Amino acid sequence: MINQPETRDLLAEARQVLLESVAPEVAGEHKYQALMIANAMGMAIRELEQREQGQPEQTDRALRAYLSEQSLDETAAEAERDLARAIRERRLDGADPALRSVLRTLTESRLLINNPGYLKR
Amino acid sequence: MSALADTFSAYITRQCGARAARVTEFDKLSGGAIQDNFGLTLELEGGRRPGRQEFVVRQDAPSGVAESLSRAEEFRVLQAAFRAGVTAPEPLWLCEDPEVSGQVFYVMTRAAGSASPRKLVKADFSEEQRWNIVRRLGAELARLHTVRPPQASLEFLVMPDPDNPALSRVALYRRYLKEIDEPHPVLEWALNWLEDHAPEPGPTVLCHCDFRTGNYMMDGDELTAVLDWEFAAWSDPCEDLGWLCCRSWRFGADDREVGGIGDRQDLLDGYREVSGVDLDPATVSYWEVMALVRWAMIALQQARRHMSGEQRSLELALTGRMVAQMELDLLNQVQELEDGQ
Repeated sequence: MINQPETRDLLAEARQVLLESVAPEVAGEHKYQALMIANAMGMAIRELEQREQGQPEQTDRALRAYLSEQSLDETAAEAERDLARAIRERRLDGADPALRSVLRTLTESRLLINNPGYLKR
Repeated sequence: MSALADTFSAYITRQCGARAARVTEFDKLSGGAIQDNFGLTLELEGGRRPGRQEFVVRQDAPSGVAESLSRAEEFRVLQAAFRAGVTAPEPLWLCEDPEVSGQVFYVMTRAAGSASPRKLVKADFSEEQRWNIVRRLGAELARLHTVRPPQASLEFLVMPDPDNPALSRVALYRRYLKEIDEPHPVLEWALNWLEDHAPEPGPTVLCHCDFRTGNYMMDGDELTAVLDWEFAAWSDPCEDLGWLCCRSWRFGADDREVGGIGDRQDLLDGYREVSGVDLDPATVSYWEVMALVRWAMIALQQARRHMSGEQRSLELALTGRMVAQMELDLLNQVQELEDGQ
């Protein structure tokens, strides 16, 4: 199905109207709400962009590669849940750079959507 | 609103033994989703507090969820802190009779200034002013930490279990994480690290447990009141210092480690001057890691309140999306601590 303009484009335009036309005209609680709405819309836009670029699959591959190296079941449907459980049960070495690297990849992938500015701090 | 003002005014008039009172100002103050804070200025005739008096009345919001101390418990903590010499609003009267206003409430004196963190972090203070403010923060904590168990008026505060506040926190957060059906490998990893690196516990003292920029009032460069006592607990002194230094409470001023205001050493110096105790900076750093985990847990719980439908709220939903920030800080901070050793 072709459904133009794209959702990402709609959201981006709506966010721009909110920030450039609406937000400057309101004050106090409404200003705060406008900025929160823009923030939420920004996350939705970035999530769509990340999906288009195949970012979630890349993160998932890194996670599965690590689990496979550790002889854990990398085919499990919920790899991140398995990783959390293996850490909780102390089956993985917390000091292992490979573990820390996969934890960082997961966290950075979320921040690319939630707050990319935080990665630059 | 004005009916409520009359209710509080009549109550205060009785407590002061005044002949009459006139409400000159009444407004709802910002902050606090669980409590309502009202500013009330009265002109009192006669009695023990004659003349113009500024009060704050704090009571449960109608939709209040009790996840922390009750108003009555908070009042007793505030009394203990005030008696210990902490710069806090003077707790005046606790009204536990729900017939009066419909809720339990208490009255305290109103402090001057603002608690706005962004305003404070952006303020154009000189280095000397910063030095003074941060030492003062250390001194306030040192005074608070002179309150030690057992205290008959604070028997509702539970002692850390196991008898090590750090391990007690780790156990609590593991329970929280288990209840939240969402995988958080970074938090699991950080909890293991906190368990493995738990320092020898210090004395068990009364901790504020939310002592951060945003929860103390400043009038210019003068601290006028430490606020928001509902998370107070018996814990390790360093929990309060670690929370204040946590990166999440620097509001963007990352290189000013103490609440976005000033330097860590000045905080420790201010603490030592009042208490005579030299706290170990490494233990403060440890509790800073704990603070990141704790803030992540709070954010997860707030998001849960939204997701479960208990309290649909954009603000709570967005707070849930902040957890990755604390997780990144955890990865960085643990690495930095290990590299520094």
